[in-house]
Amino acid sequence: MNEPTYLSRRGLLWLTAVAAAAAACGDTGDDAGPPEATVPAPSPTFTDPTATLSGDLKILLWSHFVPSHDEWFDPFAKSWGQQAGVNVTVDHINNTEIVARTAAEIQARQGHDLIQYIAPLSQFEPSVVDLKDVAEEAGKRHGEQLALCVKSSQNPATGKHYAYSPGWVPDPGDYRKSLWESVGLANGPTSWEDLLRGGAEIKKSKNIQMGLGMSQEIDSNMAGRALMWSYGASIQNQDEQVVINSPETVAAVEFMQRLFKDTMTNEVFSWNPASNNQGLIAGQMSYILNSISAWRTAQEANPEVADDIYFTPALKGPKAALAAQHVMYNWIVPSHARNVDAAKEFLLHYTANWASATYHSKLYDLPAFPALVPQLSSWLDKDPFGAQPANKLTVLKNAIEWSTNIGYPGPANTAEGEVFATFVIPNMFAKAARGELSPEQAVADAERQIKPIFDKWRRRGLVGGA
Amino acid sequence: MTDPALYPTHGQSVSPPEVTGVPHASPPVDLRERRRLADRDGLLAWLFLLPSVVYIVALVAIPFFLAIAFSFSDVTAGDPSFDWAGLRNYQNVFDDPVFWQSLRNTIVFTAVSMLLIVVLGKVLANILIADFHGKWLVRFLVLLPWTTPVALSTIAWLWLLDSVFSPIDWVLRELGLIDVNMYWLGKPDLAIGSVIVVHVWRLVPLAAVIMMAGLVAIPKDVQEAASVDGAGFWRRMFEITIPLTMPIIAVAALFGAVLTFTDMAVVYVLTRGGPTNSTQVLASWAFFRGIEGGDVGQGAAIALFLFPLLLAAAIAILRAVRRMDVS
Repeated sequence: MNEPTYLSRRGLLWLTAVAAAAAACGDTGDDAGPPEATVPAPSPTFTDPTATLSGDLKILLWSHFVPSHDEWFDPFAKSWGQQAGVNVTVDHINNTEIVARTAAEIQARQGHDLIQYIAPLSQFEPSVVDLKDVAEEAGKRHGEQLALCVKSSQNPATGKHYAYSPGWVPDPGDYRKSLWESVGLANGPTSWEDLLRGGAEIKKSKNIQMGLGMSQEIDSNMAGRALMWSYGASIQNQDEQVVINSPETVAAVEFMQRLFKDTMTNEVFSWNPASNNQGLIAGQMSYILNSISAWRTAQEANPEVADDIYFTPALKGPKAALAAQHVMYNWIVPSHARNVDAAKEFLLHYTANWASATYHSKLYDLPAFPALVPQLSSWLDKDPFGAQPANKLTVLKNAIEWSTNIGYPGPANTAEGEVFATFVIPNMFAKAARGELSPEQAVADAERQIKPIFDKWRRRGLVGGA
Repeated sequence: MTDPALYPTHGQSVSPPEVTGVPHASPPVDLRERRRLADRDGLLAWLFLLPSVVYIVALVAIPFFLAIAFSFSDVTAGDPSFDWAGLRNYQNVFDDPVFWQSLRNTIVFTAVSMLLIVVLGKVLANILIADFHGKWLVRFLVLLPWTTPVALSTIAWLWLLDSVFSPIDWVLRELGLIDVNMYWLGKPDLAIGSVIVVHVWRLVPLAAVIMMAGLVAIPKDVQEAASVDGAGFWRRMFEITIPLTMPIIAVAALFGAVLTFTDMAVVYVLTRGGPTNSTQVLASWAFFRGIEGGDVGQGAAIALFLFPLLLAAAIAILRAVRRMDVS
């Protein structure tokens, strides 16, 4: 049966043109861009490679949360290639796709020569090149590497540097000053008890919630670990033995129950990694745990809120004040890489220019070798990218003192990676907060899931401890 | 001389060229060979089938047997070397409470979605075969969910169901039906409902199109005769339309079940299995355990549980279809 057609070809073309014009207009929004930097970018340095290089170098890395980083990185890498005689190609993909892509390349035994991710890639240890020589050479040139970066790139059970970590990103508390002033905490909460008391008052008086995720995503993983460490609890001990089922963990879970009841809503169980950023930028959150990227976004999207966002170090608990790193850069060279020498030389060159990485990421990326960015302290005291007030980031000057690696007090091993990927910790807190399980049951449930994971990887020789 | 391969005699009307005074030039050899090839039905059948066979072998059979092999191995994301692990992966899977929760969720999502897909697909098909002004536009709009890539459409649902900025919540608030947001993806029961709604939304158009084919095939005189005999809408629906289109409905149900059962995109984008694994399904759990967690062997064992369940469902539905006599 022929259907009558009411749309002529001319009509279709006209509609298409209108739709295209509308789409184009939608894309050309009023993008004022970030404030101009008040200090010039660092000058790049170049050291001749120790060996003659040639061929191709294919690099895969994430699309940085701060886009200006990638605008700098791509020509930077290609420029090094031209100087060193290597043809460099750079591919960026969403960070959530990098693990699957890396696994696929390793299974296929072909792909990129150099891969970067924002968390430890310890699960790929059997199929990557040992980068101990790179770490040692960088140490010789630039001084000692931060311990949290070492523990996130070296497996003490095997001694292998499965990755190389030239930089990291801290995870401070982001709070709305005007809201916390109203409850007598103008400098934001300094302890978990402050967070509970102030967060509850703000929620009650202004109906604005506090936002620590308990969802199946990365930021919830970080928040849960920070609370556990502050209570003296951890998943594993220094010897990589599972110790999660402890009175300290139960106490942390009990505290989270109270925190949820008094300061949060069911929203925190539904979050994805962008949710707390969006809530903060929209003025819907009094406090979140996140890097400075959420605030950098607010500088453009909602300057009024951005000016009201300040930062706190890790909150004090009964035993400690510790937060997980927000991002831990892990560069790996897969065993199938065809240009290992070029990959290693590029890593050394990239490390030597870390001041540029910090600058172009707008102080998001911090160095694993602090001597490489002598300007960092002055930049944090007087933000070159438009912070109001300019010293807003001063709190990050001693970020290393209150930051640690995933897996603390042990290393970021493969078992910790799988526990992280299967969201055992956020679910432990969520089950208790929702009342599905008592704190004791929630901790025991988490232990039941974690122990087989550790046993499995220990049998493979990738996790230490007998 | 006439080449019989060039001028077949099996009843064809092709006749050889007329012989004139000019000496007949025989066709080039390669043309002759090509025509011989074109006349070999058996070979041609295989040639035409070959792309499908290659496609199925490369993208279905090899991954399937690879998954079976992986499930009995200790292959990890970082160590592709194959070592026999026996039933250890299966034993670990059975000891994992999240696996059982995922299995239960997968079956519930599939059963509820399939039921709604069939009912709503039938309703939609009835609407779409009716004559009304602007039917082409309605058909286009109705088919959009099916033609949109599932990840893209699920991102749109993610925005619609956002905890803070959900337009659905906004409408409900404006209508005075709710005071605070629903947190669609933050409560287990609502999150489960949301995942089912998205599955139903994206698969109902497919079911409707399949059922439309069945509905238009029913002879009009059968319906008219029933009307003349006094049968009303519902009686015609349950005693004529549904029985006559039952095989087609079963096929639509099978498609709905398979596409819901094997999908991980909706759960991955919408909830990543949360809250507290209440929306975790086998496909997404296999991905989290096998790829993100690095244990490919265990991930393969989880994923393989899809196969026997789907096979049983497909056999049951197809056997039922065969038994239905609609002639």
